[in-house]
Amino acid sequence: MLQISNANGGYKRVTIIRDCSLRVGKGEIVALLGRNGAGKSTLMKYTMGLVDTFGGSVSIHGNTLPLSTSKRVKMGLGYVPQGRYVFPRLSVPENIAVAALACGHDRHESIDDAFNDFPILAEKKDALAGTLSGGQQQILSIARALATKPQVLLLDEPTEGVQPSIIEEIGEKLKRLNEERGLSILIAEQNLDFCLSISKRAYILNNGSISHETTRQELIQNKTILHELLGV
Amino acid sequence: MELDFLATLLLSSLSSAAILLIATVGLAVMFGLMGVINLAHGEFIMFGAYATLFATQIGIPYPLAIIFATIVTAIFGGIVELLIIRRLYGRIFDTLLATWGLSLVLYQSAVLIFGTVTPGIGLPISNIQIGDYSLSVYLLFLILVAVVLIGSLYWLLTKTSYGITARAAIQDRETASAVGVESARINTMTFALGSGLAGFAGAILLPAIPATPNMGFAFVIKAFLAVVAAGPVTLTGTVAVGSTLGMVGNITASFWTSVVGDIVFFLLTITILRIFPLGISGRWRMKL
Repeated sequence: MLQISNANGGYKRVTIIRDCSLRVGKGEIVALLGRNGAGKSTLMKYTMGLVDTFGGSVSIHGNTLPLSTSKRVKMGLGYVPQGRYVFPRLSVPENIAVAALACGHDRHESIDDAFNDFPILAEKKDALAGTLSGGQQQILSIARALATKPQVLLLDEPTEGVQPSIIEEIGEKLKRLNEERGLSILIAEQNLDFCLSISKRAYILNNGSISHETTRQELIQNKTILHELLGV
Repeated sequence: MELDFLATLLLSSLSSAAILLIATVGLAVMFGLMGVINLAHGEFIMFGAYATLFATQIGIPYPLAIIFATIVTAIFGGIVELLIIRRLYGRIFDTLLATWGLSLVLYQSAVLIFGTVTPGIGLPISNIQIGDYSLSVYLLFLILVAVVLIGSLYWLLTKTSYGITARAAIQDRETASAVGVESARINTMTFALGSGLAGFAGAILLPAIPATPNMGFAFVIKAFLAVVAAGPVTLTGTVAVGSTLGMVGNITASFWTSVVGDIVFFLLTITILRIFPLGISGRWRMKL
C-alpha cells in the first residue's frame, strides 16, 4: 500500500531524516513513535512532499508519487498536520469544502458525510474554524483530510493539546474508519497509550533514522524499547 | 443649512466614496487575498480606460466596451502574474519594485501610444435637480455600481468553489496544498480577478474620469491607504474604511478645497493606523 523507501529529506541543505523506509499495509494502522525532535514530523512532511527531498521515494500501490504535494493528495494521501492548521477565517463547512473541491468531489455531499461522521461539527456549522476549541479543530482537520477521500491517512500528533474525552473519541473514530472502510493509517505520536490502543505495529524513529520496527505485544513486553523510546 | 444642500452633499459624498471603492476593490483582492502590493494597480485602471476607449472608437457600444475592457485587463493581469509576480511571492519588497517598474513601463507606453491628451467618451451627461443644486445622474449611478460590485464580489468569494479555495490558499498556502489545492493556478486566477476589477474601474469611471496616461496616480495612493487601513478582513474592512475616508474627504473638500480634503483623508488614515496598527479589522471575526 504505502511504501516509503530510503527517505532523505530536510530543509534547504540540512538533512533531518536519513534512509528511512517504512510500509503501511492495506487496512493497517501503523504508529511512528519517537521523542521530541526525532524527526517524526519531518518524515510525515517528507511523505507529503512538504519538505525538500534529497533522496528516496514514496509510493502507493507500487506507483511512485510525484513531488507535488497537491498531486500526492489527489493520488490518495490524506494529511492531518501537527497543530491542526484549519483555515481560521473559513467556516467549518468551508474548510471541508476546500478539500472536497480540490480533489474533484461534490462539496455538499462531502459536507454531509463529514457531519454524519462527526456530529460535533454539524453543531458548529455556522462557526469560523478559528473560533473552535483545540479538540474541535483537530476533529475538523481530520474531517477535512477525509474529504479528500484518501487511501492512506497520515496524522501528525493528533492528541497534542486535545482534552482526554476528545482523544478517546478520535481513537474510536479512527478505529471504525479503519474497520468499516479499510482506511490505512499512519500516526506519528508521542502519546504511547493512544498508539497502543489503536495500532498493532510501530516504527521507532531515533535521531532521524528508523531504529526499530516493532509490534504492540513487543512494546508492552520489552521495557528496553520503551525506555529507549521515552528515555531522556 | 438647507435640506437640499445636505441631500446634495450626502449624495455627492456617497458617490465619491463609491468611486474610491470601485477603484480600490481590485487592489483589495490582490493585497488581501494574495499579499501582493501591486503598485501598477493605477496603470491597470488606465489600461481598462484605454481598452474601453479603443472599443468604443471601433464602434462597440459603451456597456459592451466595459465588459471587453474588464476581460482584456484580466487576461493582461493573468499574463503579468505568470511572467513576473509568480516568481516573487513572499518577497514583498521585490514585488513592490517589480510592480513599480511595470507601472513605469505601462505609463510610458501609454504616453508614447496615445499622447498625454485623449478625447473623452462623449457620453451625454444628464443632471438631476435637487432644490437649488444639481447632481450628475452618472455619479449617482456609480453608487449603485459600487453596491452591486461589492455584493457580487462577496458572493463570488464566499459562495463559489473558486472563492472558497482562493481564501483557503491565501490563509495558509502549505496546508491548502496538503488538502489538494493547486495554489499556483488559484493565484493566477486571483491576480487576473484583481486586474479585471481594475480594468472595470477604468471602464466604468471613464465618463467621469477621462483616460490619460497618469490617471492611475490619482487612485493608487488613496486605494493603497484604504486597503492597508482596512486590515485582514479585506472586503468588509475596505468598504468600511473606503467609504468613510471617501465621504469625509469629500465633505471637507466641499467646505474648503480639494487639497484640504486630501489632507484630511491622509490624516484620518494615519490616525486609523496609529490606533489599529493591523488595520481596523485586525480583531474582527468575519470571513471577508
